[in-house]
Amino acid sequence: MTEMNPFLHDLIVYSPQILTGLKNTLVLMGIISVTGFLGGIAVFYWSLSGNKTCRNMTERYISFFIGTPLIVHLFLMYYGLPRFGIHISPLIVSVIGFTLNVSAYNSRYLMTAYNGLDRMELEAARAQGFTAPEVFRLIVLPQVMRLSVPSLTNQVIQNLKDTSVAFLIQYNDFFAQVQEIAATNFEFFKAYVTAGVVYLGLVSVIVLAARSLEKRMMLPGLQS
Amino acid sequence: MALIEIKNLVKKFDDKTVLNGVNLTLNEGQVKVIMGGSGCGKSTLLRCLNLLVEPTSGTIIFRGEEITRPGVDIRGLRQNIGFVFQQFALYRHLTVQENATLGLRKIRKMSAKEATQKALYELERVGMLEHRDKYPAQLSGGQKQRAAIVRALAMDPAVLFLDEPTSSLDPEMSREVVNVINKLYLDNVTMFCVTHDPFLAKYISDSIVFLHEGVVLAEDIAERLFYDHPDPRIREFYLSVLDLK
Repeated sequence: MTEMNPFLHDLIVYSPQILTGLKNTLVLMGIISVTGFLGGIAVFYWSLSGNKTCRNMTERYISFFIGTPLIVHLFLMYYGLPRFGIHISPLIVSVIGFTLNVSAYNSRYLMTAYNGLDRMELEAARAQGFTAPEVFRLIVLPQVMRLSVPSLTNQVIQNLKDTSVAFLIQYNDFFAQVQEIAATNFEFFKAYVTAGVVYLGLVSVIVLAARSLEKRMMLPGLQS
Repeated sequence: MALIEIKNLVKKFDDKTVLNGVNLTLNEGQVKVIMGGSGCGKSTLLRCLNLLVEPTSGTIIFRGEEITRPGVDIRGLRQNIGFVFQQFALYRHLTVQENATLGLRKIRKMSAKEATQKALYELERVGMLEHRDKYPAQLSGGQKQRAAIVRALAMDPAVLFLDEPTSSLDPEMSREVVNVINKLYLDNVTMFCVTHDPFLAKYISDSIVFLHEGVVLAEDIAERLFYDHPDPRIREFYLSVLDLK
């Protein structure tokens, strides 16, 4: 009987940990995609506010989170806050850090789509008697969401890939498990290629789902 | 009975005075057309009347209530004024029927069934029933404007404001829309219409208001205003738009 490839052997031996890591990766990606999406809508709403202070603060928030690396926010919360006696779990730190970051990006995508809207539609809605929140909910949001589907789904893909950063704050994700196997058998090349293939497979699933969503959200006669 | 009374209405944008003491009255069942050269304040006047633009000074009385006072119910006011825009301004993500029912369901709080019945009635009235499931991008210009009229009429407004309803349309589509507006005129729908189109003005108006640099220069029927008016500014304008030069 031929002897099993040692790397394959390790993969099988460590498969329970790898699957747990994969589950943790998908959980984190799922949570931050939802919270980042909702946060993006909230930030976008505030950036359209009639209140100048609110608009300015929102703009600063977006600039800060787009202008600074995610890893800095995660490290600040995970390694910096304990100095003040605040200890937060890696999952919570990741969710907060990613949500703040992804919300900033998503709000920008929505704003880009908003800039392409026909302003007369919004005036027509106000002339009809809709309040500003109703105009946002009934006219602006359904349209910018449709127009932003490609950008928003790209962000979900980005979220999946970025979760690998969370292992640096002790979050037990898929990449952390791969790293552990590599450190055990010193097969770094094979370990990282395997990780790449798995990420590619997951991204392909998201891409297929995104295309189907884009088709369903398309406006007849307007988008092709 | 006066539906809208405008007294000494002034609107300034920074240093530019767009309306400079406009006095006008629109009675129920009456159709008044506002004409005048570009930048004379026609569209601003309509926007002031439903408070899309805040007047600088002056008084507007709508159904006996002063709407230029602070704390007025703007939402209630706008529900009673149907507004049709030059560029149609249909909600692109909704079908023609949904465009008409959205306000009924969300503002008038009608049930979906009631709103649909009302929308279908108005669609039939302007010959748009067969297009009810189309999206705005699938319609011609004339159909879009008729859909916009349906959206406004569906709310049962006390008055319909038409802001250059045919300016974006070619002659054939323009005729389509003129016929619809003329039908509303015959149905005694109260209207304020801003237009450059003398053909539309003549066929749908009880009287025409001529606005020049934010001031009402004259108000008269088409025949007296269009031809040989004693005021040279009015005469010059109609020589130009009627292509009589």
